[in-house]
Amino acid sequence: MYAIETENLVKKYGGLTALDGVTLKIPEGDCFGLLGPNGAGKTTLIRILTTLIRPTSGMAKVAGFDVLKEKAGVRSAIGVVPQAMTSDLDLTGLEIMDIYARFYGMGKKERRERTDELLSMVGLRERAGDLIATYSGGMRRRLEIARGLVHRPSILILDEPTIGLDPQSRRVVWELLEKFRKGDNLTILLTTHYMEEAEYLSDHVAIIDYGRIVALDTVEGLKKAIPQKDTMELTVSNIDMAKAREAVSAHPSVGSVAVNEATLIISVDNGANAIPELVDKLRALNAKVTRVTLKEQTLEDVFIHFTGRPIREEEARKVSFLLGAGVPRQWGK
Amino acid sequence: MNRFKAILERDLRKFIRNPLVVAMSVLMPVIYLVILGNSFQGELKRLPVAVVDQDKGPGAEWVMERLSALEAGPRTVEVIRVSSQGFAMEALREGVFKGVVIIPPGFSRDLARGSLAEIGLFLDNAETIAAATVQSAIARAVSEPGMEFVSVREERAGARLRPIEIYGKIDYDQTLIPGVVIMAIFLGAMTTGAFNIVMDRFLGVEESYFLTPLTKSDIVVGLVASGLLITTIIAVVVLFFSSLISGIYLWRLLTIDGFLLMLAVIVLSTLGLQGLMFVIMGRLNHPRIVGILGGFMNVIFFFPSGAIYPTESFPAWLKAFAIVNPETYSVHALRALMFKGAGFGAVKGDMAFLAVFAVLAVIAGTAAFKREL
Ligand SMILES: Nc1ncnc2c1ncn2[C@@H]1O[C@H](COP(=O)(O)OP(=O)(O)O)[C@@H](O)[C@H]1O
Ligand SMILES: [Mg+2]
Repeated sequence: MYAIETENLVKKYGGLTALDGVTLKIPEGDCFGLLGPNGAGKTTLIRILTTLIRPTSGMAKVAGFDVLKEKAGVRSAIGVVPQAMTSDLDLTGLEIMDIYARFYGMGKKERRERTDELLSMVGLRERAGDLIATYSGGMRRRLEIARGLVHRPSILILDEPTIGLDPQSRRVVWELLEKFRKGDNLTILLTTHYMEEAEYLSDHVAIIDYGRIVALDTVEGLKKAIPQKDTMELTVSNIDMAKAREAVSAHPSVGSVAVNEATLIISVDNGANAIPELVDKLRALNAKVTRVTLKEQTLEDVFIHFTGRPIREEEARKVSFLLGAGVPRQWGK
Repeated sequence: MNRFKAILERDLRKFIRNPLVVAMSVLMPVIYLVILGNSFQGELKRLPVAVVDQDKGPGAEWVMERLSALEAGPRTVEVIRVSSQGFAMEALREGVFKGVVIIPPGFSRDLARGSLAEIGLFLDNAETIAAATVQSAIARAVSEPGMEFVSVREERAGARLRPIEIYGKIDYDQTLIPGVVIMAIFLGAMTTGAFNIVMDRFLGVEESYFLTPLTKSDIVVGLVASGLLITTIIAVVVLFFSSLISGIYLWRLLTIDGFLLMLAVIVLSTLGLQGLMFVIMGRLNHPRIVGILGGFMNVIFFFPSGAIYPTESFPAWLKAFAIVNPETYSVHALRALMFKGAGFGAVKGDMAFLAVFAVLAVIAGTAAFKREL
């Protein structure tokens, strides 16, 4: 049985198609990374899987329960860490843990033991009695991870768990997830728009873009999918980028070419040999080449290969016409 | 059961963590009492009235005695003897006097003869309430049984606009207390219960609750229960304090039964308003909308409830609203229990209405609440 299974999920918001036929099968015990830029539909997918919104069409099963017909079953099987910080600021860490444990019908003794164990694991035992308002962003995130695990769910779902955290807190969260992943045969589904995160944590990675899964494999498998082994970046000036792209693409050892402002991102075989030839080609068109770098492939290159553009950080944000800032939180970040 | 109790406990903890809100919830209605008592109702007292005696006979003495009795007893007026009619009229126009009584020459003679004896009363009709008060007080004072022949001829001085005076010393009207208690219930209902949903939604916290096995009714019942508990306590404290500052010692006035009945009325009123708030706020996501709706609804429910002016004085359309306004029944029941020593029989109609309203409101509120993003 699969931990999570979806079939042709579609979600439309008016004219906008946020999810455009997503089919996924995530085996039990897997750590599955969903990688995509902002606005790709990650949060939308997570919200459908966690019964918060309904799909326009398609089917999804989580822990064997249908997300539309067996909501209660889904809800007790999953632990979720939503994208936005969702812990009440005017409660203490201990209170949050206890209150949530009660939502799942856990007895007093069990609650105390589990809360204690989890708070120690996430390093918040000393601060458990303090109001959450006094926590840092990283502490709050760790608490929310602990909260998501309080009822021993079989599936843990995290939506951009390290978004907005400083690099150090991000590391801490990664290590924490590594630790939880090893015990309990926990299935983890996490979304991210950080390449390193997907690479570091996931057994399998799916790349999502414009609501569609454009690639799905192990990290290794995805890297192998790109025929060219190297990535070259050429920063140029004094030339139309479309023209530059065309010129570079014509070279026999060049695979895909993406454009990011004044930089050409090129997957290429045997990059070291290709550098002089490509630079000459561009110069022949009167272009100036201001910078050349060559590196080994990363997941980022995989993303570029499949989507034709790098992951950007910018964000689709909507504001209600009637209420101004009253609404956008619904869209996540 | 455990789930709904967890919600209840969460809310209570959050509420107590806001001591300022707790204090304000109690203080503000009591301040309302002071302000409403001073600005609206309350009998007017010590209205200065000039008397010009142009008769100087025994009849005039008799009138003066009656006026002095009015001054000493109900203290409605303060009598000032003035010798010049011209000066008195000028002072009336200036607003120094609220009325001028003229005892004309020959008044004693007419009185002795048994023919129609008249005294003149000049009023400042720019201030209608004070004028009406002076007029009725003086008319009552000089029209003893057997003395019907003394009539008051009312003459109105020309209207003149000038700033309306504010009276310093007026007793708080005790009959406002039920209204103030209802006001406290309204404020409580507006800032607890359903309001927590709006805040959770605004802060983005509600998502994490919707991810758990909590059902719609766990959430609504939990929030209503916490709101009910908090608001009932506030209302009882407000009842106690506002009675105290207006000189009522509840523990002397009320029997245990009377108090329990009042408590029941408070609980039913609170429950109804909590449910109503869910109907209104069940889908809102911005506290500012709650602020604006709350201010509006407070007035809409409060003034037509009879808390300040009797509903009998309303035009038909407003009366129709008063009939479906739950606060009307709360005010009526509390007033009857507090001041008329009424028993269950006298308030069972009110309580039945409140109970039905509460049940319907909670059902509608649960339906209106959206347990989804
Ligand atoms: N409630 C909504 N109403 C309208 N559009 C929405 C809503 N929620 C999300 N969207 C749109 O759907 C797309 C996918 O959003 P989302 O799933 O939040 O992306 P991600 O989590 O990958 O950043 C975006 O274009 C976003 O603007
Ligand atoms: Mg998102």
